[in-house]
Amino acid sequence: MALWQEIIVAAFLIIGGGFGLVGSFGLIKLADPMARLHAPTKATTLGVGGVLIGSMVYQAFADGTFSVHELLITLFLFLTAPVTAMLISKVHLHQTIRKSELPPTGTDRPWATLDKQD
Amino acid sequence: MPLILIALLPFLGAVLPALMIRAGRTASAWSAGAVTLAALTGILAHAPAVLRGEIIFYQLDWVPILGLNANFMLDGLGLLFSLLILGIGLLIIIYARFYLDRDDPMGQFYCYLLLFQGAMLGIVLSDNILLLIVFWELTSLSSFLLIGYWKHLPEGRQGARMALTVTGMGGLALIGGMLLLGDIAGSHDLSVILQSRDVIQASPLYVPALILILIGVFTKSAQFPFHFWLPQAMAAPTPVSAYLHSATMVKAGLFLMARLWPVLSGTPEWFYIVATTGLITMLTGAIGALFKNDLKALLAYSTVSQLGLITMLLGFGTKMAAVVAVFHILNHATFKAALFLTAGIIDHEAGTRDIRRLGGLRHLMPLTFLIGTLAAFSMAGVPFLNGFLSKEMMLEEAAHTVWAGSHLFIPVLVTLGSLVSAAYSFRFIAHVFLGPRRSDYPHRPHDPGFGLWAAPALLVALVVLIGVLPALIAGPLVAITSSAVTGGDLPYFSLRIWHGVTPALGMSLIALVGGAVLLAAFVPLDRLRASLPQDTAKAIFDGLIAVAVRLARGLTAGLHNGVMSRYALAFALTVLTAAIFAWATGAAGPATRALTPVPPLPLIGWVLLVAATVTIVLTHHNRLLALILIGIAGLIVSVTFVYFSAPDLALTQATVEVVTIILLLLALNFLPRGSPREGSTARHVRDALIAIAVGAGAAALTFVVQTTDFAFDPISAYHLANSKTGGGGYNVVNVILVDFRGFDTYGEIIVLGIAALVIHALAESLLESPVGARLARRAPDKGESGDPHPLLMVVATRVIMPIALLVGVFIFLRGHNAPGGGFIAGLIVAIALLMQYMASGYDWAVSRQRFPYHGLIAIGILTATLTGVASWIAGYPFLTSSYGYFTIAPLETFELATAMGFDLGVFLCVLGAVMLALDTISRLAHRAGERPSPYAMDVDPSRPQSAQRV
Repeated sequence: MALWQEIIVAAFLIIGGGFGLVGSFGLIKLADPMARLHAPTKATTLGVGGVLIGSMVYQAFADGTFSVHELLITLFLFLTAPVTAMLISKVHLHQTIRKSELPPTGTDRPWATLDKQD
Repeated sequence: MPLILIALLPFLGAVLPALMIRAGRTASAWSAGAVTLAALTGILAHAPAVLRGEIIFYQLDWVPILGLNANFMLDGLGLLFSLLILGIGLLIIIYARFYLDRDDPMGQFYCYLLLFQGAMLGIVLSDNILLLIVFWELTSLSSFLLIGYWKHLPEGRQGARMALTVTGMGGLALIGGMLLLGDIAGSHDLSVILQSRDVIQASPLYVPALILILIGVFTKSAQFPFHFWLPQAMAAPTPVSAYLHSATMVKAGLFLMARLWPVLSGTPEWFYIVATTGLITMLTGAIGALFKNDLKALLAYSTVSQLGLITMLLGFGTKMAAVVAVFHILNHATFKAALFLTAGIIDHEAGTRDIRRLGGLRHLMPLTFLIGTLAAFSMAGVPFLNGFLSKEMMLEEAAHTVWAGSHLFIPVLVTLGSLVSAAYSFRFIAHVFLGPRRSDYPHRPHDPGFGLWAAPALLVALVVLIGVLPALIAGPLVAITSSAVTGGDLPYFSLRIWHGVTPALGMSLIALVGGAVLLAAFVPLDRLRASLPQDTAKAIFDGLIAVAVRLARGLTAGLHNGVMSRYALAFALTVLTAAIFAWATGAAGPATRALTPVPPLPLIGWVLLVAATVTIVLTHHNRLLALILIGIAGLIVSVTFVYFSAPDLALTQATVEVVTIILLLLALNFLPRGSPREGSTARHVRDALIAIAVGAGAAALTFVVQTTDFAFDPISAYHLANSKTGGGGYNVVNVILVDFRGFDTYGEIIVLGIAALVIHALAESLLESPVGARLARRAPDKGESGDPHPLLMVVATRVIMPIALLVGVFIFLRGHNAPGGGFIAGLIVAIALLMQYMASGYDWAVSRQRFPYHGLIAIGILTATLTGVASWIAGYPFLTSSYGYFTIAPLETFELATAMGFDLGVFLCVLGAVMLALDTISRLAHRAGERPSPYAMDVDPSRPQSAQRV
């Protein structure tokens, strides 16, 4: 593998690792659960995404093949990460926020999570 | 028909009546009768040869290493008993068809009856004493079912329990005695044992063996002091009493005494134990019978008495007495069964079997009167009936038997016994049929239909025929049976009514006249008896059982009190002690392997694992947090497997972790958020020290093992070399699971299935208990979410489901040659289904479940079994696998192995077990108030506004 190819792969890895670091740091640094929710999403999307692209590029350069595993992993990440984030935020809403603190929904229905609360 | 088939026929046929009951009660009875008739025909086909003096054998090695062979033998003794068992069995089947009530489960009855019949046949046809014991125990079990047939009656249940306890204990003693006997004789085959009389009687083990065998025999044949269970067993339906408690089962003890008579009898020990017990039993039984007001209790005690009589005859030890015993076995079976059936008819038609409420039935039930009177006269010993003949011969034998130097002891007591026998027989007639007609019978008594009276009438016909023409009807059978009992040469005997004026005739006359006189004085005697202490056997038995239960409960509660930490402590201390002992006494080789360097990656994993574990210990009071930390530990372990190139283990570990965590999460829903702090600090410190000692010991052991070479060559080389050639797969782990150690896996999936079923059953009892009520009242600790099944989650799980199922199929198919297999595939599919439960709720998912998970487990185990059995057809041992390569047009050539069928069984079983556990939690949720929603998700924009959940 030529040097420039290695540089490209390394760059993707560093970008991925950097976002992973930022995400983890944010998880500690940010104060509010809703704000903290943003940090790991960076790690799962851009962080892991960078590593995956790096892996695909490496496969292409080193073996001359096109690897689809990474695409599958991406697909599953895109499918699961939003569900996780939404469930965490729902729990947060449910357990710590009162109905009166929330802005209006703009419809005649209340916030779904708090639908059953008085 | 080979003997083994005759003996097995009732067992095989036992399912027939249970199935045929769907076609009606008559069909059920017919099927039971047909089975019995087939076995009877088989025996009759052998009868001419046996009567010529031949002995029929059938030999089959069963467990030869234990000396347990399925050897069967039919000689004269076996023939007599087989005819009794099957002949009377057939009559009982006919009688029961008309006796049992419309509400009684008749299929069950005939099923039990045939099981019992098979067990009895097995006893009398066995040529191997171990095989005989197996059948012996089977009669105890099947008679338990029959006595307790009317499960709704407490007397039935208690009687069944008592019979099982007494005969079961006797069975244990018998096993000991038989093993001793086999040991002395050097063989467990009866035909060999019967030839070794001198060796056995000379052995110092003769007396222990004799006593143990006699305990078994006496309990079974209701001999004093074990006779009390028989009257209690009268709670059974009358056909059962007639069959088990007069004709067959209670005679099993007599049979065994007769069978072993050639080797055991003739010693003073035998004479004094057996003859005296028989004599005492005869007297206590007779006196008991005289004063019983329940017809069946009267007959039960009279049976005890008659069995005592036969036991005494066998105990005399002379050949002539053995002949008489055989003859009386035959006669007693006929008249006593007829009497029981008569009692059943009276109970059925008059509505009561209490003698005090009966009387004067001779005009109302003339036919029953005739049958009952003839049978009772035979029991009393009235001439021209078969009971007279054998009783007369018995008195003759007793007249010249010397007991401890006394010439009078036995003759006088035997005459007294006969006298009381005559009295209770006459009482049966006088107080039931004679006397004035009453106006207060519970029913309107009348003679029954043909179905009910046919069987006793046939038996009574035999009673009369044998009584009038003994030599013609019973002569050959008695001769051949007696020669089997006595082991060959037979003394001269003649079955005749008139033997001339003998002492026996005088004793007979005294008995008959005295019996009539005794009955005349019944009322004052009964008053006298009422003032004496009553029958206390049941109270003593119940007291003993209560003591045993208390002891067992105390022991169990002391050792097994449900405190988890105590079990863990006992386990940890045991292991620690054993390890210290092993380390102190054994020797470990020097470290021969160098330590490898620690790269950063494992180090990170190690730090995470240790951190997670320590945090669990510190924060385990918060259950949710502890669960998350357990998840971390599980993931690190999975990753460790990957690092050490064990992909199969890694896949299994990862999927198991996922399933465990999800199921625990769901279960946590119904548990308190935190666990309370228990025990003192001192105890915590003590437990911590023990735990650290055990952990450090395990670590040290691992270190030593890893730094020294193997003492022996590991077996893995064999597996690696033979995996492809022998099992047809490149994935050695999978080939080990489904082939090399397939039998282990087979056992494991069965255990897994049982565990899942037990969890299910436990939850059932949990829901019935106060816990269930608490669940129903449970209020969520925080307000419920208005949107517990969010759209995003539902859609995502639906999208993933087919992919996950596909992955499951893929993992399953590749399993034999690449990491994967049935176990992992089962877990993956289970996870795919679990996700649906989580997304849309337990009840929503359960209501869409089309097949029971129990069934899945069963199908899984059946599939595995059938795959294993299939190799038998090809002539190989269980679970031998074979494989081949196939090509189907558009596909590449692929491999098919029979192991795949086995793996499919594993797959189904794992899937069923996991889903059954989930199903259990679902039922808890249902009890806690969750109801199925008609919608998969709570908020669905595509639904019209009116259909949104409020």
